[in-house]
Amino acid sequence: MMDLTQPQWVKHVIFHPFEGYEDLRWKKGGTLKYTAVIIFALFVALIAWDRWCGFQFRPLPDVLFSVVPYLMKSLVYFGAWCVGNWAVCTLLDGEGTLKNITIYSSYALIPYIVCTFVNVVLSHLLVTDEAVFFYTIHYIGLLWTALLLFNAVKAVHQYSITKTVAAIALTICAMLIILFLAVLFLSLFQKVYVFFYSLYTEIVYRIQV
Amino acid sequence: MKHSVSRRMLAALAAVTLTVGAMPLSVHADEPYDVYNYNYLGEAVPSQAGYVAERAVSGIDLGTAAFSAPSDLCKDTDDCFYIADTGNNRIVKTDSEFQQVLKIYDTFTMPDGTQTKLNHPKGIYISPDTGLLYIADSDNARALIADADGMVQQVITKPDSPVYDQQLTFLPQKILCDNAGNVYIVLGNTTKGAAMFGADGAFIGYYGANTVKRTASAILNHFWNSHASQEERKYRVRNAPSPFDNFDIDTEKGFIFTSTSSGGSSMDAVKKVNPEGHNLFSYLSGFVWGDEFSTWYGGTSYQTKIVDIDIGDDQSINCLDTATGRVFQYDEEANLLFIMGTIGDQLGGFTQGGVSAVETKGAGCENIYVLDSMKGTVTIFSQTDFGETVHRATALYNDGKYAEALSPWLEVLKYDGSYRRAYIGVSSAYYNMGRYKESMDYAKKADASNRYNRAFAKYRAQFLKAHLTEILVGIVLLIVLVSVGKRIFRKRKKKPNA
Repeated sequence: MMDLTQPQWVKHVIFHPFEGYEDLRWKKGGTLKYTAVIIFALFVALIAWDRWCGFQFRPLPDVLFSVVPYLMKSLVYFGAWCVGNWAVCTLLDGEGTLKNITIYSSYALIPYIVCTFVNVVLSHLLVTDEAVFFYTIHYIGLLWTALLLFNAVKAVHQYSITKTVAAIALTICAMLIILFLAVLFLSLFQKVYVFFYSLYTEIVYRIQV
Repeated sequence: MKHSVSRRMLAALAAVTLTVGAMPLSVHADEPYDVYNYNYLGEAVPSQAGYVAERAVSGIDLGTAAFSAPSDLCKDTDDCFYIADTGNNRIVKTDSEFQQVLKIYDTFTMPDGTQTKLNHPKGIYISPDTGLLYIADSDNARALIADADGMVQQVITKPDSPVYDQQLTFLPQKILCDNAGNVYIVLGNTTKGAAMFGADGAFIGYYGANTVKRTASAILNHFWNSHASQEERKYRVRNAPSPFDNFDIDTEKGFIFTSTSSGGSSMDAVKKVNPEGHNLFSYLSGFVWGDEFSTWYGGTSYQTKIVDIDIGDDQSINCLDTATGRVFQYDEEANLLFIMGTIGDQLGGFTQGGVSAVETKGAGCENIYVLDSMKGTVTIFSQTDFGETVHRATALYNDGKYAEALSPWLEVLKYDGSYRRAYIGVSSAYYNMGRYKESMDYAKKADASNRYNRAFAKYRAQFLKAHLTEILVGIVLLIVLVSVGKRIFRKRKKKPNA
């Protein structure tokens, strides 16, 4: 029973939000390869949402494009979520490994990504008066992903509902701390770099003179 | 061999493009300043000049004494100009081309036959209906209404009405009259608005005052004032609006446009006041007249200070900024058309804080005249071909003749590919002509998503109407194909098991 291939596992998890992850855990399904694909798809979806929308829905002026915020929103946030969740739940008697947390969380993102792509296509067919379809799909995707993410955390750590809520709240705090430290770290590195660079220019100048 | 030929051709092509590309630049070289315009994001972008400074005329050029601190410029229906030469206590009338002086008014004959002299007149206005001269004779504390021969018809002095604060002296600065003969006088010492007099010279009241902006500090100040005693209130700061210091009347429609230089309240900088005293530009909340950002010269920042305003015969609004010596021309819907002028000594440059009056001439606003009170000159700007095209297109567009405005807008785009309103104009024209695809393209170039949406809705309806059969047949075919395909797929899957 439940001898599913990897693509079938994805389908099973998404369409069975409540027991899907339990089955996945029981049968040790899921693979990191898919995680990589999903995160890349998320990255593309975020760009598509801002850039490939029908012009009538485009919120941003076509002036500047930087890939950094999109990398930040997909890769960095997701990474911070996984590490933060792992750090918090290890302390809270969670049973999940970092690998499993990553895999399960990434599978939960699929509805949001799919809905975003559907919206990008729809935005070329609708006018702004019909934007309600657009927003409905957007919120369905968002809620679905939130539900899956909740159950992913619950299943991977074998938590009760209340403990899952607490764990998610703490994870968000942990994410904020991680991002804060990352910013501090970056600015420190920049200062160090500037210091060594000025040292270098000074030495070069002395040698020349 | 083949390579070298194509390379030579490329070089020739590059040379041609370079020479062609360099041609319009030679036009730019005439101005002692960078011509710019604002895009819809509020960023200054380079643009083509709509006006170029043609020449500057001083009093000596006109064959009379040099102007001394001239402060107002006005035009009559015959396009003759009147300069309020304040320091020389006279009004100078010139011909329409500023070639010669036609008449100098320094003494007037009063109704009782006595002679009277002007004392630092600061405002002059010529009624287009009656041809009478309205003079704000500032240091004599009176306003004179005289005919072209210098016979005074009426004298307006300090009103003895209880509405007028009797402790204030009468300080007329600028003067106007409307179609009904009512006289409006900007006073130098009140924030209540312009003093308004009936055709018979009786004081009616104040007109078009600015309002105090409801900023946090103003509200707090009001709160404390309302709780202070009578004695305390004497020493407290009062909430008073900055008074407007210049105005012009749209002779066709009767609206008075006021300009306020002080206070920095961008809302009140230019107002379009209806006869009831309401500002019709109040819907432009957040709109900045003049430069969007304060500019910097030598460590000091200068914010736009609009000292004079002129309504052209084509309803264009011309604002004169004394801080940067620039004229900002807007169309009647307050869309920025052109910016000209600078601070400097060259032709087209003015003294810092010296410009005092702006005036326009021609049905299409062909000329703009700027009076510099420190230099004592009138600088004449004339329209370029680009300016003419933009004006023609704008006039048609504002009249709702979108389709007729198409060719001038396309011409504008040939001059300046970053002129956003031209893209909007072309988009509107194509929309009205039913060419929705092109309308969409141009709306996209103008970054106007609402216009794109409007055209897209029509385009979609048109497309659906034209291709309904194909679409329906396509959908049916797709359903059939999918169901048949599924059946075949299933059969194949079962075979290996069986």
